[in-house]
Amino acid sequence: MTDGKEELDELREAVREFLAAKSTESAVRASQPRYDHAMWDQMARQLRLPGLSLPSDYGGDGFGLTELEVVLEEMGAALLCSPFFATVVLAARALLASADEAACARFMPGIAAGQTIATLAAAEGHASWDPAMVAARAQRTPDGWALTGKKSFVLDGTVADLVLVVARSTAGPSLFAVDREAPGLRAEPMTTLDPTRPMATLTFHQVPAVLIGAEGQGGRLMSQVLDLACVALAAEQAGGARRCLEMSAGYAGTRFQFGRPIGSFQAVKHKCADMLVRVELAEATAREAARLADKAAPEFGVAAATAHICCSQAYLFAATENIQVHGGIGFTWEHPAHLYFRRAKSSELLFGGPAVYHERLLDRLGI
Amino acid sequence: MPEYLQQFARQAREFLGAHAARAAERADFRWGEGDDRVPYFGADPPEVEARKLRAARDWQRTRYEHGFGWISGPPEHGGRGLTPVHELVYDRLESEYDVPDTGTLSVIGLGMIGPTILAHGQQAIKDRYLQAMYRGDVIACQLFSEPDAGSDLAGLRTRAVASEGRWILDGQKVWTSVAQHSQIGMALCRTDPDAPKHKGITAFLVDMGAPGVEVRPLRQMTGGSDFNEVFLSGVRVPDDHRLGEVNGGWRVALTTLMNERATVGSEGGGPVAEALSPERLSALMRATWTWDDRALRRDLSELLADMMATGYLNARAFRQMQAGVTPGPEMSVAKLMYAQNLTRAAHFVSRVLGPRIIADTGEWGTYAWAELLLATPALRILGGTEEIMKNILAERVLGLPKEPGVDTTSPFRELP
Repeated sequence: MTDGKEELDELREAVREFLAAKSTESAVRASQPRYDHAMWDQMARQLRLPGLSLPSDYGGDGFGLTELEVVLEEMGAALLCSPFFATVVLAARALLASADEAACARFMPGIAAGQTIATLAAAEGHASWDPAMVAARAQRTPDGWALTGKKSFVLDGTVADLVLVVARSTAGPSLFAVDREAPGLRAEPMTTLDPTRPMATLTFHQVPAVLIGAEGQGGRLMSQVLDLACVALAAEQAGGARRCLEMSAGYAGTRFQFGRPIGSFQAVKHKCADMLVRVELAEATAREAARLADKAAPEFGVAAATAHICCSQAYLFAATENIQVHGGIGFTWEHPAHLYFRRAKSSELLFGGPAVYHERLLDRLGI
Repeated sequence: MPEYLQQFARQAREFLGAHAARAAERADFRWGEGDDRVPYFGADPPEVEARKLRAARDWQRTRYEHGFGWISGPPEHGGRGLTPVHELVYDRLESEYDVPDTGTLSVIGLGMIGPTILAHGQQAIKDRYLQAMYRGDVIACQLFSEPDAGSDLAGLRTRAVASEGRWILDGQKVWTSVAQHSQIGMALCRTDPDAPKHKGITAFLVDMGAPGVEVRPLRQMTGGSDFNEVFLSGVRVPDDHRLGEVNGGWRVALTTLMNERATVGSEGGGPVAEALSPERLSALMRATWTWDDRALRRDLSELLADMMATGYLNARAFRQMQAGVTPGPEMSVAKLMYAQNLTRAAHFVSRVLGPRIIADTGEWGTYAWAELLLATPALRILGGTEEIMKNILAERVLGLPKEPGVDTTSPFRELP
């Protein structure tokens, strides 16, 4: 972990500069629904972002969630379309949580180097991350395992080279690795509210797979990955919310009506102040959760659940009010406000939303 | 913590160890046991209040005599000559010990008025009051707000007229904390009604025992009296008790307000914070058989998430200050949130309690919450209303334009 604010600021500046050049609004709009391979290569080679927070034993640079958090804030602010979240957060964290050294040694260096795009297929048609709801089946075969079932809401599921799948064996939910080219696997893009975050439905019919980690540990693994994924998502959300606030404050200071900037009216000014309050809280929770993760602190679970709630609410609030501050122009297709609104709503509900995240916080608090 | 702070922390621990007992480990909470009051404002009977005030002054004197009474003050006035970071470190350490609450002396007097005297006072005043204040002998209050000057502080009307080398003060101040215990008060007065409102104000240090100063308790909606009205009728103030330039009082006032004690850690302790801990709130839900009420559980989660987030924000500001970095808007945001969180918490608890908070059944830990409920409307008003705080955040942090108006350019006497 870097200990200084200066290092983090430098990292932020480098990522911001890169994204300002590469993840422009037109690039964001054009990349739907695919991402830009050339940019992904540059992200890996010049900035070494995929490996930033992965262990150095497996080809990463060994930094922590604190550093990753900074990167994700910037990616969220720029609405970057890339399989970074699926690969570096979901898949890589699932591999690490499995504690399967052979699997890590086999798959992680490719992820760290940016050569492997990966994802985690956990949720099914009902979108739940509750291990009890996993219906996909895994059966032993003479040379390994075969998976049958259907996974939905799989981030970047049509472009991932490596798909990690939670499927149920006789021992319970377990983690498996599947190659995208494997026979019997069909990947179809889902139509998504947020076109900047592609999702897919994967159908498995007797697909050959490799067991990762111990059989039956999939439930514990899903919960661990979910905590980290919530923190990573929170960072993206905080960054996106901050960008919405900047857009609103900028516009309110320059848009004239009734002979004065609309930001001089308290009705608008206070709306912006409310957004600022929510954004500050969101950032504080996302950063605190990342900090506690790096310290392996026992309060991490509570902080992760808190960050997920606060950042989900903050982003949705900021994205909604951003359109309101802009008025009519904010409702047009040409204006980017709706891109943030779509991302905010989609992020809020990606892992179940208020229907589950409140109970998760109370559970972590022992209530 | 860097080495120079560690050494200071060792000294502080040594001092605290010799003069105070470590705070008792918080006993495991059991429903129905112990004090069930949730007081935001003090509501002690007069004899208890007097005893606590004596203890506070004694403890401030002990601190001072051992070099911890004015840690960041300049040595020529009796301070220790260290930094605000040292002060933060000491405060954190002291919170681990069981010591008298010195808020009556420190929040306004030592925290805000002391630094103002230091920055703007004339030599005689500094010599006369600073050391005495930090030694616990002199308590100071802030004579700012008036019935017609609340959020618009610069619209104040208390007059000060020069006469034979001194000043005569006439007017009324309101919402004055600790005035009943104070020996001195810092008053903002109108000295030039022909100038625009910010440019005709002068600041004075008033002897609260002088003829013409009358302090009357103000009864607030809780039924208690935690503030005062202060009437000034022909009060004579020598010119050497003037702070800053004549008609330069606004700048002096800004010094005072900027020193408004950082709210860092203010949610960390006290009976209110304890009563609103996740553990206590869930015990309350169990005791009232609302444990599995889905709507209440969701409200509780929303509330706890915001309370935790506010705590993280405070902690971040504290870490920044400790690292020598000036925090951004964290403090203002935390203040806004603190008021909202407490208000929401009081209403959440009342939804859990139902009719038990509108009439006392005698059951432990139920009607007692009415005390907090009735205090909460103050939180979004005192120390800067929510509306003014939002203006400040939007204008200073986001750079939004001020509301246009003539009130800052026209002569004060022409304002409606």
